[in-house]
Amino acid sequence: MRHQEVVGGHYEVQNPVVNIVFGLVVAGVVAWALFEILYPRLRGRFSRRSIQGAVGLAGILAGLYTGLLLVYPDNLHLLFGPVAGLAVGVAVALALREGLVRVTSSEDGPMATLVPAIIGLAVGAGAAAYIADRPESGLYLSWAVSCLLAGCVGLGLYRGLYVTLRNRARSPLIMLVASMGILLAISATITIVFESAPRPLPPAFGSGPIEFGGGNIKGFNFFTVGVSLAGFAGLLWLLQRTSFGRSVRAIGDDEDVSKVVGINTTVVIAIVFFIGAAFAAMAGILSGHDTAIQPRMGLLLLLKGWIASVVGGIGNLYGALLGGFALGMVEQFGIWDLAGEWKDVISFVVLILFLSFWPKGVLPRK
Amino acid sequence: MTTRTGESTEAGQRLGLVGRLKNGNIELWANLIVLALVIGFVFWRGSGFAITIGTVFAIWAILTVSLNLVVGYTGLLSVGHIGFFGIGAYSVAILTSTTDYSLLRTQSIPTHEWPFFAALPVGIVLAGAVALVVGVVFNRFRDDVFVLVSFGFAIISFNLFLNAGAITRGAFGIHEVARPNIVGRTLDGELEYLIMALACLAIVSLVAWAIVTSSFGRVLTAIREDEQAAAVFGYRVTHYKLAIWVISAMMAAMAGGLFSSWTSFIDPNSFILLESILLVSIVILGGLATIWGSLLGAMTFVLLEEGMRFLPFIPDVYVGQARQVALGVLLVVLMLFRPQGLMGRYKL
Amino acid sequence: MTQIPARDAERYALGTVGVSKNFGGVQALHRLSISIPRGQITCVIGPNGSGKSTLINILSGMLPLDSGMVIVDGEGLHVVHPYEMPDLGITRTFQDVRVFNQISVWDNIMVVLTRRKLLPALLERGKASQRERAEQALRDVGMWDKRNSLAEDLSYGQRKLLEMARAMALDASIYLFDEPFAGLFPQMLTRVKDIFKQLRARGKSILFITHNMDIVRELSDHLIVMDSGELLVEGDVDEVLARREVIEAYLGD
Repeated sequence: MRHQEVVGGHYEVQNPVVNIVFGLVVAGVVAWALFEILYPRLRGRFSRRSIQGAVGLAGILAGLYTGLLLVYPDNLHLLFGPVAGLAVGVAVALALREGLVRVTSSEDGPMATLVPAIIGLAVGAGAAAYIADRPESGLYLSWAVSCLLAGCVGLGLYRGLYVTLRNRARSPLIMLVASMGILLAISATITIVFESAPRPLPPAFGSGPIEFGGGNIKGFNFFTVGVSLAGFAGLLWLLQRTSFGRSVRAIGDDEDVSKVVGINTTVVIAIVFFIGAAFAAMAGILSGHDTAIQPRMGLLLLLKGWIASVVGGIGNLYGALLGGFALGMVEQFGIWDLAGEWKDVISFVVLILFLSFWPKGVLPRK
Repeated sequence: MTTRTGESTEAGQRLGLVGRLKNGNIELWANLIVLALVIGFVFWRGSGFAITIGTVFAIWAILTVSLNLVVGYTGLLSVGHIGFFGIGAYSVAILTSTTDYSLLRTQSIPTHEWPFFAALPVGIVLAGAVALVVGVVFNRFRDDVFVLVSFGFAIISFNLFLNAGAITRGAFGIHEVARPNIVGRTLDGELEYLIMALACLAIVSLVAWAIVTSSFGRVLTAIREDEQAAAVFGYRVTHYKLAIWVISAMMAAMAGGLFSSWTSFIDPNSFILLESILLVSIVILGGLATIWGSLLGAMTFVLLEEGMRFLPFIPDVYVGQARQVALGVLLVVLMLFRPQGLMGRYKL
Repeated sequence: MTQIPARDAERYALGTVGVSKNFGGVQALHRLSISIPRGQITCVIGPNGSGKSTLINILSGMLPLDSGMVIVDGEGLHVVHPYEMPDLGITRTFQDVRVFNQISVWDNIMVVLTRRKLLPALLERGKASQRERAEQALRDVGMWDKRNSLAEDLSYGQRKLLEMARAMALDASIYLFDEPFAGLFPQMLTRVKDIFKQLRARGKSILFITHNMDIVRELSDHLIVMDSGELLVEGDVDEVLARREVIEAYLGD
């Protein structure tokens, strides 16, 4: 099991225990999420038991599918194709329907449903065929699978631990120590399953060097910057423009009040956890393509993120971006005079200076 | 202990030993199980095993007792303690090493060949001085911010060990760290070394006990509960926090000195951030604000590794990692059900 | 400096001269000058947010002053450190009951009785005289039976009493009590009133905050009325309560 390869067709994990655990996590998460979302809406029409049954079935199917994906990573493009196609189709259909309703300015029955549905179906099938036709797309699909899996694990931790812990916790330190426990357990588990040696991810597009302003830069790094900017823009849109974002901000201000005014805080926080974990996975993948992956890579990245948010101003999204950017620059500037190995020291010295003299960060929250 | 509650002990005395066990007295169960495991393992694996594991235990226990003074009694969750451990270890290693590095083709550092008992105080004082400076800077931080900056201290000190090659030989490490020498007799034997380590542990535990049972210790717990209120009653809170921080750092440096002379070779990998997190976990596992708990926690940690060897699906190479998994899971369970740790007198 | 009544150490134990305090643009205290008579019970009243608690926090050194000075025993201080309080003979309680939660009731009292300097504190393990005083303080408030409980396990009223016992164990001459009567049962109320009277009989000076006018009439000798961080009236309790603006502002009809 130690000489095989990771998800993505280039490394395989054929550790049944891992596959089963992931399958179970996904099954549980899907079942719970569906139940949490559907139960209040369908309560009137169906009995609790039948909703539970349906949701359980959906969970089991999702778990089995996950297991299948993990068992046959080489055929990821085949297995993941239909789902990706379905997702694309639904998205296209919804978007079209929205447009059609707006154009005809009325919900005139079959037209508004049928036409988008057919077009969506066609686009979705095309997307599925396109993916299934190109084995090399496996690598990029594996990114999606990894992010979804990480999101599910994050959700599982949320449901299994966070909720219980927060009901009992009397101080933030309890959460912090519990997170340390999780960190110890997960990083050691990864070491046991995948060995502790750093290993490179397979080359993605743009891995070759590009000459830029007198220096060599990997094209992939531009992609990384692009992805983080896009992710940031997406988060910003989500938080500022959607009703979901308003709920998140309301919960951030006062959770109890949000509950009283009818926000389903459980689901909203769960989604936040999912997004957070998926984003973290994306960050890991991108930095893995840049250098290499290893079991302990997370902690330092996480601490740097924490530092960035302190430097930028806690609770401020722009601040976090600015802080991250500034921290990256400072680390790199340090290289002019000092050797690169001191960059962690530089980060933390910056942190301590900021906390001592500028504890609210560059962009304080109000 | 300064903070023992009357009711539980009185009720316990009425019930007797068996009654208390039946009542699910976790502290008693923990004590019994760990002691039974110690005895069981020693009989099973023999005296050589007991000597090795005893030495490892003594070194970890000095660390946990010293860290508990800061985390349990003063309420500062420090994840940077490994830095002071490293300062002690490197001081002793650099000053006592007998290797002539100029003959090696890698990084060269001067050889001093001091005796162990001259080098150890230097390490302890150096750690104390560093702790004083760091403490002055860190004094204004509390709670989670303190955790973050203490992470910073751990990472900065690790990078110093790794990158200040002219002093520490960086990743090449330092060889032939001298064993202690008592009145002309070098402690080469493992048993002799165990006795010395246990003696050091006894000294540290006694000092810690004297501190926490004194008025000083009581003030520390008051500061932990409410800094401002303690200040209004006339205590210079910063001085108290600094004092215990420095004392604790010096104890950790002592453990470091013992560690480097025991292994006789050190490199920066012994002082990584993860070790520091492990250390905090052991302190919390054993119990906050109790010295006996810290000893028990260290013992549990040492035994866990041996216990993992029983698990059939863990290859021997990964026993340490398996222990880490177990510790992490234990920590989460404790946070859920017993936030003061096994024997603790203070809930986070 | 013409006439500063608080400078008269014979008559006044404590006072402020022109003390101002800003919280990020909000004026909590504005040029406040008061004087607290020696050996009497002084009460501070005023609507919520009028700066009563800020006043006590300034007097006990927990907040630095922006301008003005605090006068203790006739001596003006521009900077007051919290840790100087026992030396100045000042002790206090808090509005939001701040006992040391996770240590025993006994240790809560012992904390204020022991040596302040680091080294002596390290070598000290509770002298007989200290233990007697702690016992006395606990018996005074009727908490002796609870001495081994953790402070966090006590009821609100008991914690309040414990806090008071802690303040009294420190042999001070000036006592600052922030809302000592809030949220107490009638029985506890009487107990606290008795404590006040005892302290006055022993010649101590007391400053306390309350919203209960009956208690003001019953206990206090000297009354300070505050509004929006400023002094409205100050003086003998009967005189002040007879004044029109106070009647309008507080007593209504």
